[in-house]
Formats: sequence, C-alpha cells, structure tokens
Amino acid sequence: MVPPSIVSTGEVGSLHELSVVIEVVRTVEEFARENGVTRIDKLVLQIGELSSMIPQYIEDCFPCAVDGTSMVDTKLEIEILPGNGRCRSCGAMFNLVANKGICPECGVKDAEVISGKEFMIKEIVAC
Amino acid sequence: MDAFKVLEIKKSVYEGNDKRAGALRSGLKKDGVFLLNLMSSPGSGKTTTVMRTIEALRGDMRIGVLEADIDSDVDARTVAESGTRVIQLHSGGMCHLTADMTRQGLEGLGTEGLDLVILENIGNLICTAEVDVGAAKSAMILSVPEGDDKPLKYPMMFERVDVLLINKIDAISFFNFDMEAVRERVTAMNPGIKIIPISAKTGEGVAEWADWIRSAVRDWKRA
Repeated sequence: MVPPSIVSTGEVGSLHELSVVIEVVRTVEEFARENGVTRIDKLVLQIGELSSMIPQYIEDCFPCAVDGTSMVDTKLEIEILPGNGRCRSCGAMFNLVANKGICPECGVKDAEVISGKEFMIKEIVAC
Repeated sequence: MDAFKVLEIKKSVYEGNDKRAGALRSGLKKDGVFLLNLMSSPGSGKTTTVMRTIEALRGDMRIGVLEADIDSDVDARTVAESGTRVIQLHSGGMCHLTADMTRQGLEGLGTEGLDLVILENIGNLICTAEVDVGAAKSAMILSVPEGDDKPLKYPMMFERVDVLLINKIDAISFFNFDMEAVRERVTAMNPGIKIIPISAKTGEGVAEWADWIRSAVRDWKRA
C-alpha cells in the first residue's frame, strides 16, 4: 500500500503561535530596555524541528505581534535546529525527523531526544 | 548612521512562563494549596468528572474550581450549584492557559482556606500539555467515544500527565475501544502514569480517583 501523503495545513498565523510570539516580543522589548537599545533591526529565533511551533506560522503572525510596539520595523529571521536523537538500543546518533524515529544503524524505533524541542530567542541586531 | 551590533539573548521563549509557574507553585506549596491541572478534549466529561470528584471529596477537604473556557460560563454555573467556590476564566480565544492567567484566576477565586483547587483547563489535547501553569500535579481525561488511538495522535499530553482517567466506561460496549491497547500505549510512553477507568455518570472508579487525590494532597501538604 502506498502511504497517504501528508499536507500540513492550518490557519495563517494560528492563535497558538500568536500568543507565544507576543510573549517573545515582550521579552525582547524588556531586554532592549535593560540594555539601552533603541532600534532593533533584526530578531533571530531558533526553533527546533521537534518543537510544536511551525516556523511559517511564526512568520505569518509576527507582523501582528509587533504592531504597535517598538519592534514594528524589526525583521525576523528563523534558524531551524535539528531534531536529533540517540538510539537506546545501539547508541547511534541520528536525525529523528529524516529517519522517522527509526535508527538507521540497527532499525530499532526507541530513541532518546537529544535536541530539537528548543524555542529560543537567539539574538538581536540592534543599536 | 548608527552602528548596529549583534546582542546575544540566548533565552528560551518558555523561560518567562516557566519562572512564573515555578513561583506560583512554591507560593501554593507554602499556603498548603494543591492545584490540579485537569486537561482533556472538549466533551470528554470534564465538568461531570469535576462534580463527581467534589462529591467524593467534599467531606475531607475544602475545594475550589477554576473553569477555563474560551467563552461562556455554563460550566462554572454547574459547579456553583454544588455550593463550591468557583470562578470562570475566559481565555479570550487562546487555546491554552499560561501560569500568569492561572495566577489571576486563583487571585479571583481566593485560595485562603482551600486544600484543593481543580483547574479545568481549556478543552484541547495539544498545547495545554506543554505549558506549565504552576500545578502540583496534572491529570487528563480520555473518554471512550474518543477512541483508543488518541495516545498515538497526541503523545505529548499522555507523556506528561500524572494520571489518566478513562471516562465513560459505562458506554464501552457501544464502541470499539481496546482498554488493554490504551494501557500498553500509554505506559510505554509514560511508565509512571496512574491509569484509572471511571464513569462520571455512574460513579464507577471515582473512589479510586478520589483516593489518589487524597494521598497526593496529603503528600503535598507534608513534604
């Protein structure tokens, strides 16, 4: 049987992402105040492949989240962090997403997540 | 032109909420108030389960309820009829509660003199699981009509809760619900989980659930 293909859908800039992005903007504005920053040119976020956040939705709702804040002209950049795991059976490290959680070395599907659940505010480019 | 420079922040987005949740939890601990985060899909019988739980425990402890919904106050009215201290939280469309919203709800409710506060979270099996609201323990309800495949579809919820209540077992003969398959799937993801089949309608299994709460509240107040 041919497995059904998967199409990711969702509302543009879903509420789940929006509420979190508003929190991000709040945190960054606070950081900017504490560090005497007046203009933020760019915000860099890091999102793990296994995080519940969908980068496209984050980008879609970003303009809405910064509306009326000091970050209204700030550009957004998103870096994706790989979802890596370690096989509990043979100890091999591999990408969980590319391998659908199955160890490419021994074929066992029992891996411990090493990375990929992060959602980090990495840095800002500002003056 | 001003010189732009890179300023490293390196902060988890969840850090703010996690900190507020931690502070809320230690405040509740100091006051001896046990906050239970109860989660499930819409229509799993959360409010009926809350009513049964109150009935079973009201002789032993003082209980308050936070009802969280996107809109309406039907659930809070139902609970209020039992004479329990209750407050309705409206999330304003948001799909999950944060620690800050929970704190506001608790302040509105007033926790003085309470032993147990049940937070009936928004009906949603997805992001409610990943947001720490400052609860002492968390529980979820999976009802029989929803199907035994839910642990496969929403693993995070099943991985993180302390207790899984399987509700509406009085109706199990009408559905293809494999109780053993659920037990196997869930304990593989979360070996420490306590699974209690109940019927909030007939009261079956509720005594075991009430016993679990009694002992968890006792441990919380003692430790």
